[in-house]
Amino acid sequence: MAKTYHKPTFIERIRANYFSTWLDTTLTLGFGALVLWVLLGLFDWAFLNAVWSEAEREQCGHGSGGACWAVIDARWRLIFFGLYPFEEQWRSAIACIAMVVTGALSCVPWFWSARRLPVLWLVGFAIFYVLMRGGLFGLTPVSEQNWGGLSLTLFIFASVTLIGMPMAIVFALLRRSHLPMIAGTMGVIIDTIRSLPLLSIMFTFAIVLPFVLPGWAVGDKLYRVIVGYALFFACYQAEIIRGGMQALPAGQEEAAQALGMGYWHRIGYIVLPQAFRNALPPTINQLVITFKETSLVVIIGFFEVLASGNAAYGTAEWNFAHIEVYCFVALIYFTFVFALSRYGAYLERRLAVAAR
Amino acid sequence: MTTQTPAIRISDMDKYFGTFHVLRKINLEVARGERIVICGPSGSGKSTLIRCINRLEEYEGGSINVLGTELDDNIDNIDAIRRETGMVFQHFNLFPHMTILDNCTLAPMLVRKQSRAEAEEVAMQYLTRVKIPEQADKYPGQLSGGQQQRVAIARALCMKPEIMLFDEPTSALDPEMISEVLDVMVGLANDGMTMICVTHEMGFARQVADRVIFMSDGEIVEQAPPTEFFETPKHARTQAFLGQILGH
Ligand SMILES: Nc1ncnc2c1ncn2[C@@H]1O[C@H](COP(=O)(O)OP(=O)(O)OP(=O)(O)O)[C@@H](O)[C@H]1O
Ligand SMILES: [Mg+2]
Repeated sequence: MAKTYHKPTFIERIRANYFSTWLDTTLTLGFGALVLWVLLGLFDWAFLNAVWSEAEREQCGHGSGGACWAVIDARWRLIFFGLYPFEEQWRSAIACIAMVVTGALSCVPWFWSARRLPVLWLVGFAIFYVLMRGGLFGLTPVSEQNWGGLSLTLFIFASVTLIGMPMAIVFALLRRSHLPMIAGTMGVIIDTIRSLPLLSIMFTFAIVLPFVLPGWAVGDKLYRVIVGYALFFACYQAEIIRGGMQALPAGQEEAAQALGMGYWHRIGYIVLPQAFRNALPPTINQLVITFKETSLVVIIGFFEVLASGNAAYGTAEWNFAHIEVYCFVALIYFTFVFALSRYGAYLERRLAVAAR
Repeated sequence: MTTQTPAIRISDMDKYFGTFHVLRKINLEVARGERIVICGPSGSGKSTLIRCINRLEEYEGGSINVLGTELDDNIDNIDAIRRETGMVFQHFNLFPHMTILDNCTLAPMLVRKQSRAEAEEVAMQYLTRVKIPEQADKYPGQLSGGQQQRVAIARALCMKPEIMLFDEPTSALDPEMISEVLDVMVGLANDGMTMICVTHEMGFARQVADRVIFMSDGEIVEQAPPTEFFETPKHARTQAFLGQILGH
């Protein structure tokens, strides 16, 4: 009689995978003990022996061996809001939430239409700007120089992707133009900008551009940096989109042409939706990198969330607590980047259903 | 556009790929309602010829006139001709990210400016005609090759074209699916559609073609009604080709 298939139980699988030979067993137990030891140590440090409130600050570093979260308790406002005036920080908080909500809403498929998405972001940015900048509805004006912390990071990230993404689409389309002059020129522009470090582009836009541009076109340093960063983002993203387009069989556009569809209809309904689907993993990758590299604006003198973290332990009072501050900032980055990655994975699953 | 003008008139048309002369002095006139089958060895330029008719390929010399409209560099003329000319490809080329129904309604809504309701009604009518209305909400990847090709035919018909071009519509299909596609094409031919079919299905040619055209090395070597074409081919190259594909 043929052996019937027996679905292995959990215990059986564990035994087969980790304890099948003496060597396996030794390795499993050895590494298991190591991991356990590290995790327990971390747990002790982060939770059991930790000092939580600012009031108990004196206990920090006196042999307790635990994390000094008191620094976060004392300085969280600096990390989240940077140099934003203390009395007005509630505005920065609401602006920050508005940005997160706008981002989250634009992940909902219902908003994915050429009408809803721009309206959503227009409203989102308007709320953010009015709250942050003030000067309207009796809000005290706060100049961009004093924006900072997480609100600034989110604002830069959102603006860069929102300006950069349409730019990337245009670049990608020009790059594959049938006219060799246009395609060639676009190729040179993309390659040039990609070969420059992001730092030098930010410097150029922040410091050099004001000497070149007419006065009315200069704008605040913050917006110049954002435009420079968006350009940089667009050049990378354009190549990602172009890769997605190249994966399309020529027959797709031909079929659309044969049906009488014009250029923009073909691009909008046939080419781009499929190109973005093909390019989804590298696009999420690019967004993650972009989010993390917003920290570079510190060299132009902006205190985004990481730089604000540096400032948070930068006083004599707290300078022993840099690990705790970095852990906290890392947690903030992790929250956003992990959410973004999971959303990317969700999109891939969703699109895979349609592509079967 | 009077009904007097032929559906297609190709005069002294030349086509090059780089320095390679693919089509040489092609002359072809297709009357309205005429059904034409084009055959010939691989690489003889059959696909290139019918792709010139809806300007998927540019041509270098001579002229093409479709339904009274001159096919030149004028983009309006090209669009007008494409609207009236449906094409079915060897590899179906359905849009994989859209449902079957959306595949069929997209162009009528965008190009013919039909409302969604109107376009969907027409689409269901044609999907019924190709015998797969129940697949309307599926995606192309969920259908068999034969079903996909029938959808592709329905999609082209939804634009209500005057002329249908077929480029080897059955040669990517498993044998058991060929007849279901050919049946649809025969039905179309019996309704009086002007058709140009590149195909090696000689049974189909005998059954519906008004004229069979044999191409070789970028030239139209011979053309005749099917009985004459198959019984008494004049040209040696035609005889050799028929000998090969009919196996005698
Ligand atoms: N885009 C192209 N660039 C260069 N040469 C091409 C191109 N497309 C086709 N050709 C060449 O032109 C010739 C005619 O091609 P075509 O596809 O029209 O042949 P066909 O008769 O349809 O052949 P088949 O039966 O294999 O489909 C072939 O020699 C082919 O290699
Ligand atoms: Mg061919």
